[in-house]
Amino acid sequence: MPMLSLIVWAPLAGALIVLMLPKEKVKTIQGVGFLAAGVSLLASLALIPQFDRSLASMQFVEKWSWIPSLNISYFLGVDGLSFPLVLLTTFMSVIALIGSLGISHRVKEYFFWFLALEVGMLGVFMALDLVLFYVFWEITLVPMYFLIGIWGGPRKEFAAIKFFLYTLSGSVFMLLGILAMYFRSAPHTFDMLELMRQQSSWDPRFQILVFLGLYFGLSIKIPAFPFHTWLPLAHVEAPTPISVILAAVLLKMGVYGLLRITYQITPQGFAWFLPALVVIATINIVYGALCALAQTDMKKMVAYSSVNHMGYCLLGIAGMSAPGFSGAILQMINHGIIAGALFLLVGVIYDRAHTRELSAFGGLAVKVPVYAGLMSLTCFASLGLPGLSGFISEFLCFLGAFQQWKWATTISVLGIIATAAFFLRALQKIFLGPLNEKWRDLDDINPRELASLLPLVAIMIWFGVAPSWPLNLMNATVAHLLGK
Amino acid sequence: MLNLGLLLPVFALAGGALFLMFIDLLLPSTKFRRLYHLAWIFSLSVLVLQIAALGNPASRGSGTLWIADSFGSFIQLIILFTTTLCLLSTLDYRALPDRYAGTYCALMLLSAAGLLILISATDLLLAFIALELVSISSFVLAGFERKHPKSNEGAMKYFLFGAFSSALFIYGVSFYYGATGGTQLITGVAPSPLLILGLVLILLGFAFKASIAPMHFWVPDAYEGAPTPVTTFLSIAPKIATFGALMRMFGIVFPASSYDLQGLLGLLAILTMTIGNFTAFFQNDVKRILAYSSIAQAGYLLIGVAVGTLRGTEGVLIYSFVYVAMNIGAFAVAQAVGEASGSYCLDSFNGLGQRSLGISLGMTFCLLSLAGIPPMAGFMGKLYIFSSAVESGRWWLAVAGVVNSVASAYFYFRIAHRMFFRAPDNDSGPLIVGPYLYGGIAVAVVGVLLFGLNPEPLIAGVRASTPLLP
Repeated sequence: MPMLSLIVWAPLAGALIVLMLPKEKVKTIQGVGFLAAGVSLLASLALIPQFDRSLASMQFVEKWSWIPSLNISYFLGVDGLSFPLVLLTTFMSVIALIGSLGISHRVKEYFFWFLALEVGMLGVFMALDLVLFYVFWEITLVPMYFLIGIWGGPRKEFAAIKFFLYTLSGSVFMLLGILAMYFRSAPHTFDMLELMRQQSSWDPRFQILVFLGLYFGLSIKIPAFPFHTWLPLAHVEAPTPISVILAAVLLKMGVYGLLRITYQITPQGFAWFLPALVVIATINIVYGALCALAQTDMKKMVAYSSVNHMGYCLLGIAGMSAPGFSGAILQMINHGIIAGALFLLVGVIYDRAHTRELSAFGGLAVKVPVYAGLMSLTCFASLGLPGLSGFISEFLCFLGAFQQWKWATTISVLGIIATAAFFLRALQKIFLGPLNEKWRDLDDINPRELASLLPLVAIMIWFGVAPSWPLNLMNATVAHLLGK
Repeated sequence: MLNLGLLLPVFALAGGALFLMFIDLLLPSTKFRRLYHLAWIFSLSVLVLQIAALGNPASRGSGTLWIADSFGSFIQLIILFTTTLCLLSTLDYRALPDRYAGTYCALMLLSAAGLLILISATDLLLAFIALELVSISSFVLAGFERKHPKSNEGAMKYFLFGAFSSALFIYGVSFYYGATGGTQLITGVAPSPLLILGLVLILLGFAFKASIAPMHFWVPDAYEGAPTPVTTFLSIAPKIATFGALMRMFGIVFPASSYDLQGLLGLLAILTMTIGNFTAFFQNDVKRILAYSSIAQAGYLLIGVAVGTLRGTEGVLIYSFVYVAMNIGAFAVAQAVGEASGSYCLDSFNGLGQRSLGISLGMTFCLLSLAGIPPMAGFMGKLYIFSSAVESGRWWLAVAGVVNSVASAYFYFRIAHRMFFRAPDNDSGPLIVGPYLYGGIAVAVVGVLLFGLNPEPLIAGVRASTPLLP
């Protein structure tokens, strides 16, 4: 059975069914949405026992001819790099859907676009043909535009079009890079695995040019300094579940592309760019943390913390070592889980208080103890407290990078202090001190919100104490990436 | 050899037009609407005959002034298909008085006949006559809403510009005559200043019909004023036919590479795209936005001509084909909204997503396709055209193309923005779309999705039509 196709296309089937339902049947629409995302999740979980951890090659491969005249194929497969991300996507989609139950306005359209978005995200991580990859990459754009623009905050319309045009302008240059590789290969092909085999005969100048085109598109998505400016706006304006998806999955597409395409198909360009990548990673870490420190809006703070955390991923990659790569991949997963949880938590308080200003709160720990506990745990996981998942991956990233980039790593480690500072300051302002009388009647977290948060918290603790399970998934691939 | 038989489809259309004008006189005034039906059935039957003749070698060959090859018949299919759909959507266009149905349909069919000749002409005089036949019919069509000042204004501008560019064209032909001693298109003429000057003037004459900058000034006014089905027709059929003629001229007979015209064509392509896209930003009338968009689309097509390789030609044909679907879809929805609200202002699209989700999604798909975003058909067309530029090493054309695509997304999304982000005006129910128009939209949207997801049959079809006869 073509399991990967089932995972990718189940949400599309759901989206089409949703489109045919009358818009008044909200419950049915939500049910179909959960069913479709649930099928994807179960199918991806069912692959775990079958996934061979000792293999570095692509597994569950599906390859059919799609456009034979241009040698484009429908080519799906996963390895230790993409499989964890597929799991992350199917899982976080269901979590975000639980969060979406709170959406009461134009539900039908919402579920349609949401499921369409899931198709695109899953496809990006599975596609092994560059045109297919690009198609899925762009498919994520349009639903995101509508999801931000219709259900977002006060400046949603501007945020939506800025997100759209920003990412589109990056991806068209990626397309040119893809075309350049196509015409350089013989016979012309978009097959990533074939291009990885052929790249050794390409001259460095060509590889650098192609790398720059690809990197421009990928770095906007990551987002790497200086192309991160769309992110805070989009994050802040998007509705909670969409912020979750944006942080948890969409940003990972950029880092994934960096490892899958640029590192493997244009390695000389990648090596040439490495010193700059380290600088960018360091800026992302330090500058992201400092920006987060300066925010008074909780959601914006979390958004900048994403810039900061994606910096760790970049630093790990720049280390070009086994711990670095494992750390970067694990950091993608962990950041997905933790940032997703943070956005959900911010959403919880925003739904009740209708403000996200840090200074508007105070002393809430007495009123909402469960919420305070979950928030503190998640913040600690994010700032890298040992015992929780964030620590493992950040440590691995630093470990991997230190050998080669001592100075950059040292500065980045200092960035952790800023990270800790803004999280602790937020916790202090919200939960500690005298209770702000305005919030006397604040309700604690409700079961629906708890249902979406508890699985995430459980994973944070699980990966924190027993990181070998996720690491084992990726070890063989990481060794293969490094040519060992 | 005279070989008049090769022009059979043209004769059929022209005969149909005369027949319609004739029975117009005999029909009682209550039954004028039947003429529309008659007209689209005419056009459809010629289309079916053309499809049936595709594999028949007897329908190929060359006459004294014309040629019938697979390249030409591919473009003829596009034109006939467009004509049929435009005539169908006229049935749901209420602003036209029924009593002129005969004249209207006859002019539409004559215009289509002219385009069919244009694409098969191998002699510049025949091409000129064809161009005039098309132009004169479309001047009248553009001004068909006589009581409407904008329609008059548009038609007048169109006419003056048309007269000017006809003069340029015929002036170019006279130079051509001086350089080659005839008006027949012949290969292998040594480049001379006289010939190049003639070719450039002829190019400008064609540029008028294809709305290529700097001959595009008439487009927004004429498109805005013309009855919407006519606008749809004008934005597709003459443009594609002229591109066919341009490719015949600068692809095979006078290869742009050997006459040093590639730089000029590339420059015009960039100019056309940029002017079209960046002017569209500031428009508030949907017909004008789509008019500027169609100028920009001509720029993308011109990239393929400027590149001039086989892949470029294939790209132009593929893009032309998907362009029909996406443009008809966009204009048909615009027509439905304009008919219902009485205005083509952007405001009339407010909240369409809440009023009619299906139509809005269809429109969104067509707009995404125009912007070249996958998985719509427009992406496959652009991929093909831009890849031809990359293959031939003309990076600057590809870069200009993709940058323009991003810019164009902005104004296409202004329409999507109105449909989905704005609340509908109070007490407006679902959009009422007539059955014929609905059919047109459905065909267009299916085409946009189908050729986006499975472009292989189209590419294979185009590859079979590109080998050109000498």
